[in-house]
Amino acid sequence: MHLFFSIPPLMLWFGAPDITQVAKRLILLSPVDIAIIAIYFAMVLGIGFYLQRYTKSGEDFFLAGREMTAWVAGLSFVSANLGALELMGWAAAAYQYGILATHWYWIGAIPAILFLGLVLMPFYYISKTHSVPGYLKLRFGEPTRALSAISFAFMTVLMSGINMYAMALVMKVVLGWNIHFSIWVSSLTVGAYVSLGGLFSAIFNEVLQFFLIWLGAMLIPILGLVETGGWRGLIARIHQNYPQGDYTHLWRGLGHFSDNPMGIHWTGIVLGLGFVISFGYWNTDFLVVQRIFASKDIRAAKMAPIIGSYFKMAVPFIVILPGLLGLALLPFKLVPESAVGLGQHSYNEVLPLMLARYCGPGLLGLGITALIAGFMSGMAGNVSAFATVWTYDIYRPLIRKNASDDHYLSMGRWCTILGVIISIGTAYLVMSFGSIMDYVQALFSFFVAPLFGTVLLGMMWKRVTPAGGFWGLLAGSVSSIGMFLMVKFDPCTLAYIALSTGAKDMAENMYRALWSWLICVIVTVAVSYVTKPKPVEELTGLVYGCTELPDEGDLPLWKRPIFWAVISAVLFLILQWIFW
Amino acid sequence: MDEKPKDINSGDGNGQDRPEIDLAKHSDHHMIPVWFFVGVILLIYGIIIFFTGISERADPPLEALKSMPTWVQHPAIWWGALLTVIGGIYVYAYTPRKS
Repeated sequence: MHLFFSIPPLMLWFGAPDITQVAKRLILLSPVDIAIIAIYFAMVLGIGFYLQRYTKSGEDFFLAGREMTAWVAGLSFVSANLGALELMGWAAAAYQYGILATHWYWIGAIPAILFLGLVLMPFYYISKTHSVPGYLKLRFGEPTRALSAISFAFMTVLMSGINMYAMALVMKVVLGWNIHFSIWVSSLTVGAYVSLGGLFSAIFNEVLQFFLIWLGAMLIPILGLVETGGWRGLIARIHQNYPQGDYTHLWRGLGHFSDNPMGIHWTGIVLGLGFVISFGYWNTDFLVVQRIFASKDIRAAKMAPIIGSYFKMAVPFIVILPGLLGLALLPFKLVPESAVGLGQHSYNEVLPLMLARYCGPGLLGLGITALIAGFMSGMAGNVSAFATVWTYDIYRPLIRKNASDDHYLSMGRWCTILGVIISIGTAYLVMSFGSIMDYVQALFSFFVAPLFGTVLLGMMWKRVTPAGGFWGLLAGSVSSIGMFLMVKFDPCTLAYIALSTGAKDMAENMYRALWSWLICVIVTVAVSYVTKPKPVEELTGLVYGCTELPDEGDLPLWKRPIFWAVISAVLFLILQWIFW
Repeated sequence: MDEKPKDINSGDGNGQDRPEIDLAKHSDHHMIPVWFFVGVILLIYGIIIFFTGISERADPPLEALKSMPTWVQHPAIWWGALLTVIGGIYVYAYTPRKS
């Protein structure tokens, strides 16, 4: 998930430039661990070379030939989101905020993923577009696509560079590796295997990375729960260590901004995170949606996110639980990055600390490989999505319209390399000017929430006009930028955006997203009512009510996407009740 | 040079001239399934980690593991064995065979 959404605590590393100067190392790897990491690099590159022979057309390169099964697309969908920054950042957030961090995995993901599978995916799939901006072109026309594509492509490579720098920094702090070595080796590896095999290669490696992330990270919660004597023992220890704070309830402390360590109200979680940000990210961010586009048929396209929802729901086991275990078991207190003194550790180091606590030679290598795999899957997702949007939504309509498929395939390979090079440049830029990170992170958030408003209205309401779509998207983004600048120049104005003086930074993202989405929707509706809509016959396959959705046939109940979606939703509700 | 692009986003934006995707062109693929690659790497990792655990079983366990049951104290052995079994199953099930 993109940084603005997923890893605020980890990003504090960027605000503490002296950390790069601190010569410390949490983990010392043995030759066996190094061998395990080397085997991983050899394997991902080998897969890239192997798949090159199957990547013969633009369809192969950009959409993996549209022949992925629901399981492959679903695991890839989750894996592209499960970066190592996510692992480390949310483990840190769990240490800082307790179980509240789980909201980003449950209400901040599951409803949106199920909505994607059941409602939006059929339209994306039937429209046979290559990308989300491609859908906007079909529905609203070229200006809306251009606005969306340019902002997405620009932000994607910048975020990729930030990811890369963060990874290199983690490797430096945790392993003592040279920061330049980490940046170049990891990025060139990703660039090589994505440019060779395109989305085929990205998806294959993401599935591989999915297994490595889980099997590398799962030992920590297993051994941690053995040490604490199970969940109840864990809770008892947290209460013993931190009698003042409520770290173990999902919803109980959200009645008021000041009742929980995040400084957020339940309306911010439900409407800002659970509705606008979550639906915006999971339904319109091409980085994750592209994996589903590669599904072999419409049933696979609907099932893939639903399968992904089960794994997403389970991710807190390997991410949040280590943070809670840190609260319960570590004999010292972790501190914010800005307050780290000699011999102290920051929140961000909780996952490596727990890894070092339980894992010896071999297992350490596997754990570190899981982190590297996470970084690389996230970066491959960024780069492959960038290549597709650049080639099909910017280069072809705006620069060279009528070239051959081979030409666009070649362009895809080259702009994969270009994306990696820009990412490396961004990484070095961030290294020099850490505060840029804050702005880029915010920039991405400017577009996600309004884009969801545009796509949702476009798919659900045939009255929306091309002008309405364009101006709504623009107004939503501009208002989001305006609110960001307002708080930047006068922090007191956060109280107006979040409707409370007790609101903290986390609440700002939630409420800013909510307002920008509302502004997008209001402007879209208003402009649509005063402009001429498209004829209904031009909306076939693009809009609900104008489209005959394909029948799933006479499938037994257990093969129907709706069946598995309902079970996923029920599990989601049960988890809310258990951890209330 | 000016071959009409096969891309499916072509057209005037009205959605009327989007050609069907030719899925049949991929039907002759004999691509090794991704599950085979998953099996290979898990098998290799499992064997390495298992034998690393075996070679270190005489060493004292890590501090945090000392209070745990004996069989848990050297996780590399049982976790390596688990990876080996999972990897072996995947390799066996998905090894490409001539039909």
